[in-house]
Amino acid sequence: MQIATALGLVTVAGGCAQAVPGKNPANVGLKDLYDFNAKGKLTLLHMCDLHAHIKPLYWREPSTLISAPNLVGTPGFLCGEAFSKHYGLEPSSLDAYFDTHTDFEALANKFGKMGGVAHMKTLVNEIRRQRGEENVLFLDSGDTWQGTGVALKTGGEAIVKVQNYLGIEVMVGHWEFTYGKERVKELAEMMDAKFISQNVVGNDPFADEYEELIFEPYTIEERGGAKIGIIGQSFPFTSTANPKEFTEGWSFGLRLDTLQEYVDELRDEHKVDCIVVLSHDGFSVDQEVARQVNGIDFILSGHTHDPSPQPIVINDTVIMIAGSHGKYIGRLDIDIEKGKVKDYEYKLIPIASNIIPADPEGEKLVNELYAPFDAELNEVLGKTKGLLYKRDTFHSTFDQLINDAIMDEMKSEISFTPGYRWGTTVLSGGDILMDNVYEMCGITYPNVYTFELNGAKIASLLEDIADNVFNANPLYQQGGDMSRLGGMTYDIKVSGKAGKRISNILVGGKALEPERIYSVSSWGGNLQNAGSNLQTEKIRPVYDVTRDYIKRQKVVNVSNESNVRILDYDCGCPVKGKMSC
Amino acid sequence: MQRRSFIKGFGVVLAASAVVPVTMMAEEAKKAPVQSPNKMNIDSAIKAITGGKALVPSSKIEFKAPEIAENGAVVPVKITVESPMTKDDYVKAIHILAKKNGNVRCTDIFLTPANGTAHFATRIKLGETQDILVIAQMSDGTFLSATQNVKVTIGGCG
Repeated sequence: MQIATALGLVTVAGGCAQAVPGKNPANVGLKDLYDFNAKGKLTLLHMCDLHAHIKPLYWREPSTLISAPNLVGTPGFLCGEAFSKHYGLEPSSLDAYFDTHTDFEALANKFGKMGGVAHMKTLVNEIRRQRGEENVLFLDSGDTWQGTGVALKTGGEAIVKVQNYLGIEVMVGHWEFTYGKERVKELAEMMDAKFISQNVVGNDPFADEYEELIFEPYTIEERGGAKIGIIGQSFPFTSTANPKEFTEGWSFGLRLDTLQEYVDELRDEHKVDCIVVLSHDGFSVDQEVARQVNGIDFILSGHTHDPSPQPIVINDTVIMIAGSHGKYIGRLDIDIEKGKVKDYEYKLIPIASNIIPADPEGEKLVNELYAPFDAELNEVLGKTKGLLYKRDTFHSTFDQLINDAIMDEMKSEISFTPGYRWGTTVLSGGDILMDNVYEMCGITYPNVYTFELNGAKIASLLEDIADNVFNANPLYQQGGDMSRLGGMTYDIKVSGKAGKRISNILVGGKALEPERIYSVSSWGGNLQNAGSNLQTEKIRPVYDVTRDYIKRQKVVNVSNESNVRILDYDCGCPVKGKMSC
Repeated sequence: MQRRSFIKGFGVVLAASAVVPVTMMAEEAKKAPVQSPNKMNIDSAIKAITGGKALVPSSKIEFKAPEIAENGAVVPVKITVESPMTKDDYVKAIHILAKKNGNVRCTDIFLTPANGTAHFATRIKLGETQDILVIAQMSDGTFLSATQNVKVTIGGCG
């Protein structure tokens, strides 16, 4: 839809758009991507959740995106046909390819890979040329330093070099913190951009940082003749979603009371013309933030990986989010007059690597950064028969492959793989590279743990995870998808009460026995802390376990049939107000 | 920048409040488990505080706790009760109760007008997701209350 908007081919009414016939969006060219209905002098460029994907990739959006009934079909919980309908996407268009899973493989063959920093840079250069260097500000909502082998092996440094190349000026964080406190500070020093956060505060009473802000809470930048106050909001649930050891002594949280104080301070004391919150709260949580905090002009959101072709407006705050994996740059032009935002224009620009040419300098940089690891990362481990993808609320093929690998090696009855929203996509019949395995599980705490849990505990853990994903109140959601299970199936009533959603749990086809002890493997979470009899001799990084399994299999053939039965929804992408499509 | 300003005043007030925290719990812990008030269910614990008088939910209590606990073992809570704190009108006590803890009574804080303000912050331990109840015992014999749900989760989503 965003392309059509810029071409003036669309009439917008009530938040939904109708495409007007006249031009086949499948024939979109570079000019269409560059085209923009410019407003005012100031331009903000926005990127979120790159997850260290400095090379172009395939990335299929979710085919199932279920939430509590009050949220279903609203921005942040739209996928497939429901998404296309809401935003008025033409079937088989470039936007449909980027924004939804519909006809993914056919369109992948037609349009090619997505993202890549060298392609992104060409677009950024063009916008800087159009608007003037002194009028453009490039902001990054975080989850940038982690997600690929090259990031992991350089402790994030490769990605900081890329951010400097791209010209990122301000950022916040989440997975950044999984490099540990000291490394975060080192990388922040290496980076040209400012790392800001109003919601990271020392909580170790014996440290100098006790009750002090760890980062500057905001920055004031002057561009396009205006003063812009940018407040940083890092991921509020970092210390529960990721291991505490990385951020011991730092406390996170939403901290909406201090956020309001900084908004007021910027407005009243610093007389800024425009207030931006650069956020990693998640799209759904930020809609709630906009309801509770007054005076924010724009929230540039991140975390939940939603491509949102149109901004949403809540309580006079305009919220946008720019997808993930380097697939998009959000361009926001702002017209400021007499110290106030008068008008704005937004476009979510797909980084179509076959349309936007690569900047040669960027290609050179990416090659240099990969060179030391090429031998390992380019190794072909095997082939896949079907599509391997990550995103879905309950089940995905690449996660199933990882669970298969873990159960095969660990001989456990049940395997848990985390419902992160980052990863990769490998097309049917394609080679699986070691690089792809790191794209799925390249984390700083990669160990697979095998331990024992009784049936009752397994059921209650599953309920606990379900409540983090499906809570009707966005403030209690952590923004991930359900953990993926190997060896186990279950039924779920998403709209059920906390602790009462899950039923009919089967392990190896037999009903889960509350008193029985099961052998369980898990990685990327905290489940091992709830278990007993940890088998220390079996502990190994998940990327090694997965690599060895694919090499043994040579060709993998993973079923796309979900192991979770949804009781209260008829389909994966329900529309607003319904339990069906 | 204003790194210190956001907790400005907070530490001062805390120091000025002659609080009597948790000593009562320590005493109770020594007693036989069956008779211990620690083992009371939430209704009897409330009754032990109010003597059966009704709780009046009140916006005069400003109660801050995280929506999701970063660590269930140390959940920070802050309570401020609006009161002139004069001889005739003051907050006599603030009670914090965790409805699903083994020991529902977390903290009892006793105040006098000399405290100047009724403000208290501490950390409580929560065994699971539950409602936290704050009761303010006023000098006129009424009992005000405020409640908030705090989620305790093993987490793991990314």
